[in-house]
Amino acid sequence: MSLPVQDLNTGADARLGPVRKPPRHSLWGRAIDRFAADRAAIAGLAMVAGFFVIALGAWLGWWGDNWAETGSGQWQPPSAEHWFGTTILGQDIFARALFSTRTAFEIGMIVALVSTVLGALFGALSGYFAHTIVDGVILWLKGVLDSIPFYLFVAAIAFALEGNPWAMHIAMIATFWTTTARLVRGEVIKLKNLEFIEAARAIGLHPLTIIGRHIVPNTFHILLVQATIVFVAAIKSEVILSFLGLGVQDSVSWGLMIAESTTEVTAGRYMNFIVASSFLFALVMGFNLFADGLQDALDPKRSGR
Amino acid sequence: MEFLQYTVRKLVGGIPLIIGVTLISFVLMVYFGPDKTYELLSKNPTAAEIEQVRTQLGYDQPFWVRYGEYLKELATLEFGYSDSTGERVSSILGRTVPVSLLLLAPGFVLGNLLGIVLGLVAAWHRGGWIDKTIMSFAVVGMSISFLVVIIAFQILFGVVLGWFPVRGWNVYGPASYLHYVTVPTLASVFVTLGYNTRFFRAVLVEEMGRDHVRTARAFGAGAVEILWKNVLMNAMIPIVTRVMFSIPLVVISGSLLIESYFGIPGVGKVTYDAITSGDQPILKAVVGLTAVLFVLILIVNDILYKVFDPRVSLGRVSLK
Repeated sequence: MSLPVQDLNTGADARLGPVRKPPRHSLWGRAIDRFAADRAAIAGLAMVAGFFVIALGAWLGWWGDNWAETGSGQWQPPSAEHWFGTTILGQDIFARALFSTRTAFEIGMIVALVSTVLGALFGALSGYFAHTIVDGVILWLKGVLDSIPFYLFVAAIAFALEGNPWAMHIAMIATFWTTTARLVRGEVIKLKNLEFIEAARAIGLHPLTIIGRHIVPNTFHILLVQATIVFVAAIKSEVILSFLGLGVQDSVSWGLMIAESTTEVTAGRYMNFIVASSFLFALVMGFNLFADGLQDALDPKRSGR
Repeated sequence: MEFLQYTVRKLVGGIPLIIGVTLISFVLMVYFGPDKTYELLSKNPTAAEIEQVRTQLGYDQPFWVRYGEYLKELATLEFGYSDSTGERVSSILGRTVPVSLLLLAPGFVLGNLLGIVLGLVAAWHRGGWIDKTIMSFAVVGMSISFLVVIIAFQILFGVVLGWFPVRGWNVYGPASYLHYVTVPTLASVFVTLGYNTRFFRAVLVEEMGRDHVRTARAFGAGAVEILWKNVLMNAMIPIVTRVMFSIPLVVISGSLLIESYFGIPGVGKVTYDAITSGDQPILKAVVGLTAVLFVLILIVNDILYKVFDPRVSLGRVSLK
């Protein structure tokens, strides 16, 4: 795993001359050093970690359980009992925002995980068998899925599944894996001509073993960055889909809070809108900073500089 | 002649994609779409009546025949009548698409132009405080949801300041057009600018690191001349690709959200209403047409490559 891929990337000359001594740190070791030195990235990580604790607490039932409770009186001002006041239905805004954090993490994690796995799998297959029929079919599928506008695709899937609550997840996964697959494909095409893959082929390993054991692990830096990017995209899309009535059902999310706040805004009550938007903004911002830092830290082009 | 051949080859290369997108929209919207048999029947239908309605709706036909029907509908733009209003789908689209184009064009153009300008400025001052400031604002802009921007701008310009109308679309001439288009334009520029600036900066920074730019600098060429002639013109291919690819995204998501929120009678509002009421004829028309349109954009994009870069090989067929 600690194979210094970026050093073998020099291609032909690596094969001719004696193999250079590997640098003191691995790709990952250096990445951690670089990430730790990036203040914005650390701030992003701290924000994401904070939200993760909120989500964990909501899972474990420490807080946010009373998100659906009504009857505290409409539009109560912020107080010790209701930190951010109450909604039009008398629900505690703070509890709803906390529980929505859990919803956001659920959606982000499911979508990021599945679409990254799919992207790695199809990307690796398509790169390893580049310019064959397998590659052609996968490229065609990617082209087709990329061509259908996202929100309409969700609407179409929701339509076909007749309001199934997973329609949103399925549509996001079906759309988001393509970018990951394209990046992985490019990397795999570079990797598969390197010596260690040639050696694996020479000793007669099955192509799927080579892909699973030697190629995919060497694309982890791409997968990690892509997973964080997909996570952000999923959370942002959820808000818009929930507003369109295609998103979260029978639960609460920032998107639903913003959607319901639109009626309150016309009545001059901004608390629900401000709280939901701020939570959403803080998490997305944190994730963006984190993803940027990760991308910079893991960029092989920057190694040794 | 060679150019014509290239164009034809690109068009032929797009056929598998057209088949793919139409197949997916057909399967989702029509084949697995809701069964409308019982909506057309009276309370206690006989088996013969059910059979008759199913024949009338074409449900008894095999998969490929029904797919062929859908392709015919797409080619002739004849999708039947809306379930909710009974109006012909083609005339609904004819009425609403121009409104959406008028609504979104200014924001789209401005968002890209400003993005390129900011990208150039940031790339030129790479690593300096100007670059850092611009890029920090870009990350903040990227982190704010489109929906939040729309609502916030509506409150700001419509309620607090009261400068612009934030509902409806009473456009009769240039003055009323500007009146109604301003807030939606500001919102869509705000949302796209962060992403655009980041992308354009990355492309331009790469172009700026090339030898010919260094040479031009060494010869003492001015900043504007270098940026225009050596950097921007050479970065045209990724820029054009980006702009073309963002058309469906910006136009579709923009019109869906802005129109449904501002109550503007464009195609996005029609689609939003069709989503909420399950109006199948409208949805299958919008989904099918936009997907086909996107494939056509891809093909036009490939042809534009040729215009901007004569080195692009004429021999190879490669869509994307």
